[in-house]
Amino acid sequence: MLSMKNINKVFKTDLVETHALRDFNLDVEEGEFVAVTGPSGSGKTTFLNIAGLLEGFTHGDFFLDGVNISNLSDNKSAAIRNEKIGFIFQGFNLIPDLNLAENVEVPLRYRGFNAKERKIRVERALEQVGLAARMKHLPTQLSGGQQQRVAIARALAGEPRFLLADEPTGNLDSLMARQVMELLEDINKAGTTIIMVTHDAELARRAQRNIQIVDGQVCDFTMYQGEQGSVAQGQSVADVAAAEVVTVASSVA
Amino acid sequence: MFFYYLDLAWRSIKKTPFLSLLMVLAISIGIGITITTLNIYKMASVNPAGERSSSLFAVQLMSQDPDTWENLSKQITYQDAFNLLDSEVPVRQAAMFRTGLAVQTDDVNFSPILEGVRVTGGDFFGLFKVPFLYGGPWSKQVDKEGGYKVVINEDINNKAFGGGNNVGKTLLLNRKPYQVVGITKTWHPSPKYYDVNNGAFNDSEQIYVPFSLAPIEEFESWGNNNSWRHEDIRTYQDRLNSEMHWVHYWAELTNPAMQQEYKEWLVRYVEQQKALGRFKRPDAKGEVSDVATWLAYNKVVPEDNKVLVGLSVLFLIVCLVNMLGLLLAKFLKRAPEVGVRRAIGASRLQIFSQHLVEVGLIGFCGGALGLLWAWGALSLLSSRFDLEGSLSQLDSSMWFIAPIIAVSAAIIAGIYPAWRICSTNPSIYLKSQ
Ligand SMILES: Nc1ncnc2c1ncn2[C@@H]1O[C@H](COP(=O)(O)OP(=O)(O)OP(=O)(O)O)[C@@H](O)[C@H]1O
Ligand SMILES: [Mg+2]
Repeated sequence: MLSMKNINKVFKTDLVETHALRDFNLDVEEGEFVAVTGPSGSGKTTFLNIAGLLEGFTHGDFFLDGVNISNLSDNKSAAIRNEKIGFIFQGFNLIPDLNLAENVEVPLRYRGFNAKERKIRVERALEQVGLAARMKHLPTQLSGGQQQRVAIARALAGEPRFLLADEPTGNLDSLMARQVMELLEDINKAGTTIIMVTHDAELARRAQRNIQIVDGQVCDFTMYQGEQGSVAQGQSVADVAAAEVVTVASSVA
Repeated sequence: MFFYYLDLAWRSIKKTPFLSLLMVLAISIGIGITITTLNIYKMASVNPAGERSSSLFAVQLMSQDPDTWENLSKQITYQDAFNLLDSEVPVRQAAMFRTGLAVQTDDVNFSPILEGVRVTGGDFFGLFKVPFLYGGPWSKQVDKEGGYKVVINEDINNKAFGGGNNVGKTLLLNRKPYQVVGITKTWHPSPKYYDVNNGAFNDSEQIYVPFSLAPIEEFESWGNNNSWRHEDIRTYQDRLNSEMHWVHYWAELTNPAMQQEYKEWLVRYVEQQKALGRFKRPDAKGEVSDVATWLAYNKVVPEDNKVLVGLSVLFLIVCLVNMLGLLLAKFLKRAPEVGVRRAIGASRLQIFSQHLVEVGLIGFCGGALGLLWAWGALSLLSSRFDLEGSLSQLDSSMWFIAPIIAVSAAIIAGIYPAWRICSTNPSIYLKSQ
């Protein structure tokens, strides 16, 4: 489904060059639920943005669903984002002027669905996240957890095969976080591939597979444990059985 | 998609009413001024003869000696006018000039008024389709032999007789009795194309007397008299026999064959005059110009008007630069929202279009308001500064021109801001929220 080979991403600013990803390798199969953890600034968001075609990369190979992403036109990558990918952000990122239904409708507009089709899909998606009754409400009239559910509904409305979530529970209390996690699990069971960045080890553990990004590389957590000598609490209880063998970084700084 | 963008645009305008109003105002003022000057320009260059434009011809003759003027004069000599009247080719034709006469009636209480008078032939009224209320032109007989007949318009009719059908009554012009044969409706073609020498946008004369009376009554010329050589003109007869150019000449030639025939007739006339030793230059010739050509030749649309239109367009550009700044600020503030839209599948082109539609909508509102300003400005100009009548009317074409200019101008101003917002990297704004 997703295959990255030796992806490098360098951010150049006036003063510094940041190597956000270096020789990054990852394969994700259809239907997986992958939790991504790692220290702050290690490149998790960068990876997710590249995976979601929001950002280009400096070099390397990236195939999504068998399509080579390296040199896609803006129109093509927009279409792929629209049809195959759903995004969920830490900050929800609902459009404040639009009510819930209109927010959920946005990707469908760009897809070119007619009004009837849009209505059906919006209702279905909002029902799925349990907010069908509040369609006409504005985002500010909802709690954070509810807003994130709307964002999930928006991501689901286009029935994407691939859901990318960047700390979807980062701004939520643990109860709401669990609700959102359950929702994501249901979605995954229905067949959608999910990659979720999280700082919450407990949530990460519930995923089918855990990967860790350290310094812009995918890192086997046992090795990480060994070199650093100490590991954050959550990581030690990560489900090793579920975690696939990941490419071992040859030179972890 | 267009209606979706329109809906988004409307929401955005409502969301920042003050900023939006500012932009609409900026563009409306630019449009208002542009439309005002454009309207004056357009009205000044309108062809007043309408569909008759291509069958009415001003006649010119290159009669001057070599080494004098190189241009065709706008007017011709009296002798040539007199001779041209002999041609049987034109459907109608008339020589004319402007004079002034004191107007009186039999009524002793009526104090004399000095009025501009057109001295011309009976064909004048048919040539230029002057509408009659009562009566009509004088007869061919009068044109040949002279006769004290007069055509007046309804204003003079009201002043002198208190209105009504006064055909047959007597009007005194310079103390001579003239019989009223026709009363015309008020008629002011603008520009006054049949005589552009005497103020192309002035009102036309209200009194007409026969050209054939000129040698008898010795009407002064109130128009331009152009001499290409020194002549000792003492008497009116000297003037009539002189080589001075002071008479306008018009002929109606309804089809190309007739126009060709008339041109050939003129060639023969010039040859004949050459043979008589009058036209001395080898390239002496006759020329006919239809109304449009005639107006262009006489530069009836003054250059100042073009400058004025140019200046107002510059002003519009200043307004647009202002608007560009406001748009840039407004659009960039929306970057996070655009980031979301991009992330969930909007292409750059779609974001670009969305913003251009918004700009277009602002432009459209500005255009509508600008039209209102233009209308107000024209009314003000005509009431305060006595702007020549026909120039102060808002031409109906401006109803289309104003929004088109406004929308395209706004879009030009909006291209850069829209491009900026659609080309920013969405991931930056997604993170920061
Ligand atoms: N647009 C950018 N320009 C320059 N450097 C950037 C840019 N975006 C990210 N970086 C740098 O790239 C590195 C990886 O950043 P990234 O946002 O991927 O980290 P992260 O793992 O998501 O961190 P966090 O857990 O705090 O969200 C950081 O050192 C960051 O400073
Ligand atoms: Mg991050």
